[in-house]
Parts: sequence; structure tokens; C-alpha cells
Amino acid sequence: MMHKGSKTRSGRVSTAAVLALIFFAFGSLVRASAPPQEPEQRADIIMIDDLKAFGDLERPAVPFLHSKHTEAVEKQNQDCKTCHIETEKGLSYKFKRTADADKATAMQIYHDECIACHKSTAESGREAGPVACGDCHRQNDKMNLVSNWQAIDLDSSLHYRHVKANDKKCELCHHEYDKDAKKLFYAKGKEGACVYCHQAQSVENRISNRLASHQACITCHRQRLAQNRSAGPVNCLGCHDPVEQQMIEKVTDVPRLERNQPDVVLVKSAHQPSTPNDLMGRMQSVPFDHKAHERYNNSCKVCHHAALDACVSCHSLEGQKEGNFIKLERAMHILDKNASCVGCHSRQQAAAECAGCHKSIPQQVPMPEDTCRVCHRGLVPRDLAPLDADMRTMIAGELLQSRPRVSGTYAEEDIPEKVAIKTLVDQFDAVSLPHRKIVLKLAQNIKENPLAGYFHRDPGTLCQGCHHRSPESLKPPACNSCHGTVREIKEADKPILTAAYHQQCMSCHQAMGIQKPDSRDCTACHKKRING
Amino acid sequence: MSISRRKFLGWMSAAGTATLIGRRSQAATTHHFEGYPGSMGVLHDITRCIGCRRCEAACNKVNELPPPEKPFDDLSVLDKQRRTHAGAYTVVNRHEIDGVAGSAVFNKKQCNHCLEPACASVCFVRAFSKTPKGPVIYNESVCVGCRYCMIACPFEIPAYTYDDPLTPRVTKCTMCYPRLQKGLLPGCVDSCPTEALVFGQRDHLIKLARQRIEKYPDKYIDHIYGEREMGGTSWLYISGVPFESLGMRMDLGVTPAPDLTAGALGAVPMVVGLWPVLLTGIYAVSQRKEKIAAEEQAAAVSQAVTQAEAEASAKLAAAKQKAETEKQAAIEKEVKKALAEAVKAQEEAAKARQVEAEAEPKAPATDPEPN
Repeated sequence: MMHKGSKTRSGRVSTAAVLALIFFAFGSLVRASAPPQEPEQRADIIMIDDLKAFGDLERPAVPFLHSKHTEAVEKQNQDCKTCHIETEKGLSYKFKRTADADKATAMQIYHDECIACHKSTAESGREAGPVACGDCHRQNDKMNLVSNWQAIDLDSSLHYRHVKANDKKCELCHHEYDKDAKKLFYAKGKEGACVYCHQAQSVENRISNRLASHQACITCHRQRLAQNRSAGPVNCLGCHDPVEQQMIEKVTDVPRLERNQPDVVLVKSAHQPSTPNDLMGRMQSVPFDHKAHERYNNSCKVCHHAALDACVSCHSLEGQKEGNFIKLERAMHILDKNASCVGCHSRQQAAAECAGCHKSIPQQVPMPEDTCRVCHRGLVPRDLAPLDADMRTMIAGELLQSRPRVSGTYAEEDIPEKVAIKTLVDQFDAVSLPHRKIVLKLAQNIKENPLAGYFHRDPGTLCQGCHHRSPESLKPPACNSCHGTVREIKEADKPILTAAYHQQCMSCHQAMGIQKPDSRDCTACHKKRING
Repeated sequence: MSISRRKFLGWMSAAGTATLIGRRSQAATTHHFEGYPGSMGVLHDITRCIGCRRCEAACNKVNELPPPEKPFDDLSVLDKQRRTHAGAYTVVNRHEIDGVAGSAVFNKKQCNHCLEPACASVCFVRAFSKTPKGPVIYNESVCVGCRYCMIACPFEIPAYTYDDPLTPRVTKCTMCYPRLQKGLLPGCVDSCPTEALVFGQRDHLIKLARQRIEKYPDKYIDHIYGEREMGGTSWLYISGVPFESLGMRMDLGVTPAPDLTAGALGAVPMVVGLWPVLLTGIYAVSQRKEKIAAEEQAAAVSQAVTQAEAEASAKLAAAKQKAETEKQAAIEKEVKKALAEAVKAQEEAAKARQVEAEAEPKAPATDPEPN
């Protein structure tokens, strides 16, 4: 092979090409073999982007690890006041300032204070933060940080612990705002959740939920710690780290909140007192067991998502601005919100004890008319209007008591013990289905469940989980009444008998998390036929 | 033949512009094929698949394929992701879904019988054809074994019998076309115990899939895979988990495979027809210029030559004339000279005679002989 040395032009080019090829090959190999670093998960990342208020940022926002700094500061036997100025209202949660006057001052404070401290820390030999521009203002894709910050909910258990710790002094946390006097004051009987007023963003002088909770919670916790009393966390991770959140003590039997709430109530369809004429033609009233429902959720906010008032105060019948134009009917029946009655109830169907049957039952919107009767019972609003409040409460109580509740199904001796499925004996022997065992187990699952009891209005309702699309009956139809053995293309949504059996049994097992029998273990249900 | 750079660039841009004009009109078509009316398909409901592999067993039996290494009731083969290969027109794969412990989702993979198949488009011997009934079938008697179809298929389905070097063939699911002719169901559909596969008219299956998704919105992802992918396929899928987690590509787009190359291929006849004419024309035009230049040059040359000749002949004539004149003058001069000499001689002779005569009697006058 004629080989031109690298002295000639074409020789040099080919040498360079070969070298480049080798470099690229090795480079890609090296890159491929280096495993990608797992991003660090932290709950204390604060993105410093305060200067956004003054226009577009010139450099990327700075990811600031707050807990890392509090730990470092604590090691130096210092506290929050190293960075946060104390005002008469408590600590200012901005860095070394109380307010942002202009861009230049704010930027200067950050640069001067941060870098000075980092420098002095480094000089004294300790591990310190960055001082170069690009080490703080890091590009997003070069950061190996992932936030696993979790919001913390003041649920009923945590609220009760605070109530107990403060001797039921509601005024310590709950306040209202007097716009004319421009002052906060305590209004007894009007206590509500913080989020009812303090939203995601600060609006004028109504601060954001984030600022409000930090100001309220951390100030109090710090005070108590200064008095050597037990208190909640004062650093990010104590509240917002998922692992630490799990460790927060949960009170199991929370005593009922004392806010003069009703035990039973007739759900109102009008906010203002109305004459009977105004209430003509309205749906039958719904008696509501408020006391029982307080136990079903771990926070009032699930239903009272914007105010501790009756739903109709915002969600009027016709829809109004306060309720985001969501009508009362919508608010009660919408399927995908937990605050809605029907929405929450349909969520309950996803529980493992219920899902076996309910996963295959399509959500029907609107629901069949006889389901309405479970809630809408009794008098129409027009007839209730003239009655006074005590009378209405009494009627509500009676209506709730008189609800039919089916706590199971038919008597045990009426349920066939074993059912032999021998309609398709071909490759496999007949199936001996342990019918009674299954039915009794399902009945056991719903026995203590009041929701199931009210909605399963008939002992035969439970049977309809498998004996579907047929009226409730002590002797419901077998599967082969409707499912044939020849595939009819036009009835593509009605499986043939084999598939009907398999789908019904397997989907129920899967939904309820039943591992045995495994769907693919044919002989677990039917023995293989040797001479077919 | 060496052409100048300018000329070359000019020709290329002319050719390119001509091609571009043609291609734009090709791609601006609003026609799209929605399948032959009444063509059949299969709907695969992935939420119903339990991974029992009975479809694989049935396919093997119905198509008389060689027995597999591991029997079909051996479910440990699902530990690895498999693809279709020479002895398997279809495979079932198991997928663990990230973030859900102990979850296992199964799906069946086979030829999707596209409405506008890439394999048929790319095969230059027409071994694949899309039948009006729905299946895409393969004719092994014309296959040359180039395996373009394997490269072209976006779902990587066609397999090849590499072990059979003398009579190799491409293998893929046929939707049991012979069985369909007889009014039977495809083998896999018939054998599925949970009816995860439903056979029917493609439009009906799409409606059925939509109904299922609407009835159980929490159970299904709101997408029918194959409704529009690669221009639509006859094998449709609905799933409860994202399709990417099942190894089903979501980046294929809705353009049918033939349309991706139709523009370039459609330009070929136009190129073949137009370029020669165009380039010849340009060549001719550029040559003509030279030809005219040559002609002009020739004319100029001949004119110059003629002129030069004229001048030359004029000069010659003048020179001749001059020579003639000079000659005449010379002759006359000579004559004059001779005459003068003769006269002189005569005079001298006369003088001499006179002398002599004086001395002698007079001599007779003789004619001078011209010397």
C-alpha cells in the first residue's frame, strides 16, 4: 500500500483525521461509562430571585440551601439574627433587610454580605460557600439539586396539638383584619384556616401564605424555645422534609374541634332567608350528618375549602363571582373534586375493599335517578322555609335516622356455597367456585362502612358486583344468560363467556390486590383435562 | 472538458430551482388515505392482557411455525424484552412501570398492518401489499432478500430467516389472512382468554375504544395508539399506562411512510425529463454565444484578409507601376545615354573625319552601328 508520509499535505490530513477519530471514540466511551450523578434531594432550596420585582434577571436565580446555612451558623453558636433583622413584629424574613427599596441596594446587600461571610469563613479554615459569580448564579441544567420540599398541612391532629399547647387560646393565631382601622383583631366564633385569606401571592398588605406561616409559626416556636419549652421546628427541614414530616407525632383520637358547628344540618339552597315563593321548584333537601363527616377527613379544609361557611354562601344556585361561577348543583356533584359530595364518595370506591366491584362499574354522569334518593330525601325547601332553625335541625336529625341502611347481603343459608361453572368444559375441567366464601368476605368488608350501607340500598346490590346489568334479586342470573360462546363482532363490548368469566374474576383480584390465584396460573382455578 | 466555475454554479442552481418548483407542488396535497372501506383490524386492550402467552402459542400452531426453544407456558421468557424473530410473528412483553411497586403490564407486539405500509412502499419488487380486507401480506416468490422492509418498518417488525440461507424469507404477522378468507378469526384473537384482542372493522374498533376510554376515564390513557400513527394502522392499542413505558414509540408522527419519500421520488421523473432539456438548452445557449463569437471572428478575419489582400495587390500594382515607370525611365535614360553617346561618337567621328578629311579626302558617312 502506497503510504504517503505525513510530510505531504494529504498525508498530514489523513493523520489528523485518524487522530481525531481516535479522540472522539475514546471521548464518547468515557462519557458513556461515567454514570450520571444522582441529583441531591433537598427540601430547603430557596431560589433567590427577589430582583425579579425590578425587571428581568441578568443572571440566573441563586439556589440557596437554607438549612445548610442554619447548621453552619449554629455551629458558630449564633442564631437566626446573623442574617435576619429583628423588628417589633418579629424577624424579618428577608436577608439582612426589611424591605426591597431598589435593585442596586438589594443586589449590593446580597453580594456584600454573602461574599464577605464566605470569605471570612474560608479564611478561618472552615468549609465555606462560593465567592465567584458563576458558582452562585448557576445555570439550571448544571445544578444537581432536586427539590423534595413538601408543603405541610395543619391537619386536625397538628391543630389539636397546638390547641393543647396554647391552652385553647385561639386568639394567639386566629385573627381578622379591620380595613378601616388597619389593624388585626381577634373575632371569636369567626376563626378560620390561614389559607382562607393568605393566598399564594401577597396582595397589597395581605401577605402570602408562605410569609404568614413563617412569621406566625417560626416566631412562636422561637419564643417557646427561648423559654426552654417544647416547640415545633424552626428550620426548613423540620416542617418541609418528607422524612421529617413522617416523624411528626400524630394524635389518633382527636377531640372534636370547638367552633359551634352543627351536628346535623339541612343543606341550604339559598344564602339569604327566602320566602317560600322564592324556593319554588327546588330539589328535595339533603340532611347532612356534619358531626360524622368531621371524622371522615383530617381537616375542615377538605370541604370548607375557602371559608367555614355553608357552601351556598359562595356557590349560589345560579352561580356567582364569589363561587367562581360554579353553581351549587355542580359544587355538590362534580366527580373529580374532594370538596364535592359525590366526588369524595366516588373516591371512597377506590379503596381496596371496594375496588374489586367498583373498578368495573363505570362512573355514570348523571347518576341513575334512584341514587339521588340516598341523599335527597324529605321535604322540599319551599315547605321547610317557614320553619325555624331548631325545627329544621330536628327534622334533619330524624331524616338521617330514618335512612335505610343495608349492612350486608342476604342470609348466609340463601347464598349458594359452591357454584360449578361447567358450561365451557373443553381444555379444562369445571370450576368449583367458592361462591359463599367470596360473598361473605365482601359483605364483611362493607359491614362497618356506613357509606356502603346507605348506597347499597338492597341486599341484592352486593350481588350485582358480579351479577351485573340485572335487577337485584335473591336468585340473580348466571353469566351465560347474556354472554354467549360465539363472538359477535357487533357486540364487541360484550365478551364471550370465557372472556367474561376471566375478566370478571381477574380484574376483581387485581383491583383488590389479591396475589393468589395468579391470573396466569390456569390450574389454580380449573384442573387441566388430560383426555380432552 | 473543463468548464468554468461560474458556469458550473449557474447550471446547478438552474437545475436545483427547477427541481424545487416541482417538489413543492407534490407535497401540497390534501389527500390522505383513511383505509379501505370496511377494512378489518384488531383492538388490543393492554389493561386486559395478563401475559399468559396463549396468543403466541396459537399463532405458532395456526401458522405451522417451528416449535420454540422454551414452551409457551414458560413465563420466565418475559424477564427479557423480546422482539419478533424468524419463528415468532408475535411476542408478549412484560413491563414494570417506574414508581409503582410490583406492577407488571403486558402487551403484545406484532405487525401493525399500517394503512400505508412502509414495507410496501420501500419494496421495489412489490413483495408486500395492503389488501382491501386489512392485512398487509407478503409474497415470498418475488422477494429478493434485500431486507429494505426491515429497515423501513418504524415498528421494527419484519424478521428474516437467516438460518435458511438458500431459501430465506421475511417473516411477519399476516393477520391470518387465509383464515380471514374462510371467515375465521385470527389465531391470537381466538385464543385470548380475557378478550384483550377484539377483531372487527377498523372504524367500529375506534368507536369501541373511544367508548371504553370514556366509560372508564381513570383506567385508560386518552389515546388510541395506531389511530393516526404513521398515517394509521389496523392494529389499535389502548392502555392504562403511558405508551412510552411499554416501548411503543410516540415520536413517529402522523405522516404515512410513503409520504415521507413521495416528494423526493416524485421529483425523479421530472428531473429525468427536465434536466436534460434544461441543461442542454443552457449548454446550447452558452455554446451559441461561442459560435457567434467564432463566426464573428471568422468574418472579421476574412474581412481583414480581404482588406489585406486588396492593400497588397494595390501595393503590388503601385509597385509594378513604379517599376514599370522606372524601367521606362531607365530605358529612356539608357536610350538617351546611348543616343548621347552615339551623337558624341558621331561627333567625334565627324571630327576625326574632318581632321582626316583635312588631311585626307573626305570619308564616306557610315551609319553608326548601335553597340
